[in-house]
Amino acid sequence: MRVSTAQFYFQNGLQMSQKQSAVNEDATHISAQKRVLTAKDDAVSYGALTGYKEELASIERYKKNLTQAESRNGLQDTLLGSSTDLLNQVRDLMLQANSGVRSNEDLGSIAQQVKQGLEEMLDIANSKDETGTYIFAGYKVETQPFSVQPDNTVNYNGDNGVRELQIAKNIFVPINQSGEKVFENVANATGDFSANYNTNTSGVSIVSAKIVDRDAYNSTALNPQDYNFSFSAPDILTVTDSDTPANVVHTGPYVAGQKIAFEGIEVQLNGNPLPGDDFDITPESEISLFDTLKSAIDWLESGSSSASSEQGQVDFSTILEQFNNVLDHITFQRAEAGINLQQIDRQKNIHLDTELYLEEGRSRIEDLDYAKAVSSFEQSSTALQAAQQTFTRIQGMNLFNYI
Amino acid sequence: MSVSLYNTGVSGLLASQQQLATTGNNIANVNTEGYNRQRAEQNAAIGLYNGGNLIGGGTYIEDIRRVYDQFSYKEQVLSQTNLSHADSLNVDLGQLDQMMTYSGDAIDASIENFYNAINSISDNPSDLGLRNMAISQAKILSSDFNSLDENLTQLVKSTNGEIRQIADHISDISSEIGKINEQVLHTQNSVQGQPNDLLDARDRLINDLSQYTSVNTVVDNNGVMTVMIGNGATLVAGITSLSVNVRAGDPDPNKTVLTVNSANSSVTLNGSSVGGVLAAKYEFRDEHLAQVKSELNRLSMAISETINDAQHSGLDLNAQEGLDFFTDINTSFIQQSRVYTPTQNTGDLQSRVNISDITKVPTDEFMVEYDGVNYIMTNLTDNSTLNLGAPGAINSAATTAYGFEFIEDSGTPAAGDFFIIKPTENSASLMKVTLADGVGIAASSAIEVTPGQNNVGGGDVEITNVSDPLTAQSYATANNLTVDVYDNGSGAFDYRIYDSSISPVTPIASGSYIAGSSAVIDLPPSPAASAFQIEIKGSPTGSTALSRETFSIADSFGVGNSQNALSLGLTQEKGILDGGTDTFNQSLAISTGTIGSKARSAELTENTAQALFTQAYNRNQSTSGVNLDEEAANLLKFQQAYQASSQIISIANTIFDTLLQAVR
Repeated sequence: MRVSTAQFYFQNGLQMSQKQSAVNEDATHISAQKRVLTAKDDAVSYGALTGYKEELASIERYKKNLTQAESRNGLQDTLLGSSTDLLNQVRDLMLQANSGVRSNEDLGSIAQQVKQGLEEMLDIANSKDETGTYIFAGYKVETQPFSVQPDNTVNYNGDNGVRELQIAKNIFVPINQSGEKVFENVANATGDFSANYNTNTSGVSIVSAKIVDRDAYNSTALNPQDYNFSFSAPDILTVTDSDTPANVVHTGPYVAGQKIAFEGIEVQLNGNPLPGDDFDITPESEISLFDTLKSAIDWLESGSSSASSEQGQVDFSTILEQFNNVLDHITFQRAEAGINLQQIDRQKNIHLDTELYLEEGRSRIEDLDYAKAVSSFEQSSTALQAAQQTFTRIQGMNLFNYI
Repeated sequence: MSVSLYNTGVSGLLASQQQLATTGNNIANVNTEGYNRQRAEQNAAIGLYNGGNLIGGGTYIEDIRRVYDQFSYKEQVLSQTNLSHADSLNVDLGQLDQMMTYSGDAIDASIENFYNAINSISDNPSDLGLRNMAISQAKILSSDFNSLDENLTQLVKSTNGEIRQIADHISDISSEIGKINEQVLHTQNSVQGQPNDLLDARDRLINDLSQYTSVNTVVDNNGVMTVMIGNGATLVAGITSLSVNVRAGDPDPNKTVLTVNSANSSVTLNGSSVGGVLAAKYEFRDEHLAQVKSELNRLSMAISETINDAQHSGLDLNAQEGLDFFTDINTSFIQQSRVYTPTQNTGDLQSRVNISDITKVPTDEFMVEYDGVNYIMTNLTDNSTLNLGAPGAINSAATTAYGFEFIEDSGTPAAGDFFIIKPTENSASLMKVTLADGVGIAASSAIEVTPGQNNVGGGDVEITNVSDPLTAQSYATANNLTVDVYDNGSGAFDYRIYDSSISPVTPIASGSYIAGSSAVIDLPPSPAASAFQIEIKGSPTGSTALSRETFSIADSFGVGNSQNALSLGLTQEKGILDGGTDTFNQSLAISTGTIGSKARSAELTENTAQALFTQAYNRNQSTSGVNLDEEAANLLKFQQAYQASSQIISIANTIFDTLLQAVR
């Protein structure tokens, strides 16, 4: 075919500019170390790439949340650990106090120590985190959750809000426990009722008073209500409700160790009641830790006379039983923080694995295969060089050189 | 006899001279664009009758004509049009691809940062610093949207500028072709031989023109060319040149329209089908840019609406209902700007478009036409139609599939009036952060469900859809709401909702649901306006009418409450757009990916068009192009012929001298 001079230059120019742009593109990819610079480079995988990046960013956020959640739960763990120690000390003090040979002064000084314990406990319950907000206040993080009154009763001013952080797509971990749950909702050692002894000459006490049949209990219109237990000779127990006039809900001879059942409630007593003994039970399924401490202080402050009485011993054992419950409860709350920490650890590992896998996927799409890129660069630059050399060679061949 | 030899020699000399001149002209024009090589057509002169023989009378140049193959030339013109079209699209889409990738990355990052800030609030909702950080991030996010939208608008404007320039250029070419036609006509009458350079110049102009639009030419017997562009609109008729003009579009002024104008007529050109760069510009503006813009608008609208919605479900640090975080997407100004009303409408209907469900809004454009009885809405993407009903009685349910409503404001339409609806219009450019202070971020939930202590598990009550948190809060507080639920023994669960402020205590709502499903109840109950909903679900199997699972609903506001911030943060991972399938980031990635694949295919098309053009160009050049080697050879050839012709004269002279000496 006849080739015109202009055609020759046009062709070569076009060739070289195409080769140059190929070299330029390869070089851009190499210097950016990316295979996909814009969507155009791999439109098909671009969506997947964005998906990978989005997932990776989420994991980054989850990891941040994990760190926060870990420190929050860790702090609770520590605080609850120290409250366990503190409560154990108080319990030891109580055991010392009940040796029966303590004078009023001794008991007074022990009461002082227990009071000290109460203060320390309050201090723990009113702890703040690094941002200066109260840990055990629920949502009312700027309100001091526990305040003590002159008579040693402690009020809770927070609420039962629980804040959560997202640590995986559908997993939320609590980062606080409300003070109410931790310090107030301690199960009553005697079950669903507390006893209030009016006359107790024999040292009789309730071991447990529980609602076993909620259907039966709820079908009693007056419930919840107090019940009165009174013993009369010979060993007759009469239980009355608090209606006016009172109805007898149970009556009959009492055999020691036997359960008393009425209106869905089962009551177990300890001791051998004497005629004239009389006590009430009042519904109370949870007792605040601070109330228990207050009862302990009250018991100690009432002095040696009460400590030696039958009723004093009953009260003491009730307090001690409740103390055991308190310790269990705090341990349980601590375990909850521990479980959170465990879950956090597990998620951390899962995230690390997922991150690795996502990073691999992202890299496969986006990152440059150096060997490939460099060889492609070499190839295109060689092609450019060849085109340039051919051009100079051929354009030198001209008949005019020979005229 | 020798006289004739003289003449023969001289004719050879003259012919060689002309040949040399033509060769020289070819060499001189080797780099002239559009130049067709010329050739001097040499012929033998008719011989003289002498002594019973015809003796040749030398030579002469019959004509100097250009070597021109109109078929290969036309092929080149055609492929030039295709190449320019592909090239222009490739360049524009490449630019858009980069813009979307880089700006898209920026928006991606802003979305991420904004949600990170919200996430920090859910960890520590009482921290004002974190709250203000979220406001700043939101400002960056909205300004990213503003600037990308501004860039896209700028692209539309610059595309329009290019269209105007091209139109002007075409008009210039048109008038030049007209002038050349006139000259050609003139030379045809006065000079023998072809006006090669005029024809070359005219072809060059056609070549120029073919970059911008497809061209058809017809040459008549007088050599006058009629030029038609696009789908046959006459641009040059004989010596009359028409001009191409641009006027603002109606109803959208940015959709400029091309017209071919003569002194007393004006024909509208369909820009997208004229071919060449012009069609590429129209396609880029009306398809690709419009699509991207509408997707961007929709995304910003979805983000604004989703975040605003979440804000309205919660309480801010001052225990007030959260205010709009971003500009409300349904202000009457924005609603009206979604409807384009052409000036040619004879009725005076003012209308607007309300977005009712962001998850369903498409990126398509719509046309609503009043046919004299009903409004007929056409989806301009797939041409499906919907009957919206008569004026004053618009059936808004008809458009719910599209997530928006066409609303008449005032006036009445005349038959034939139409309106263009762009449901997402202006969202990105008007996106602003309207929340002034971090205190206003509604991190706290208003109400919360607390399960009763004696619940043994199984039952569950959740608060969904808080539409009025303050009312919800005060209602829950004032009425001490409790919900109880139990197994009714026949495979279903009964529930009751109590309002303890009513005496005697009777349920304000009750009912049952079967296992595996749930019951959703509006509270406060009708006829009062609903402030929130609760969903009762789960299987409290084994519970009885007397041992119910109970749940209380109470005020949960607190500076440390971050439940609403948590649900605000969760919207990042939720599928919202396109019927609830795509997250914000995914939606953006899809837009960018689409442009990327368009850019890629434009590049491939350009490569093909380039190859086809090169072929056509080569074919044309192989006929008409100047080859220097060939011309050099010709130079030698004609130089030798010239020298030889000189020798003839010299011989003739010698012969004559010999004769003179013989008679001396």
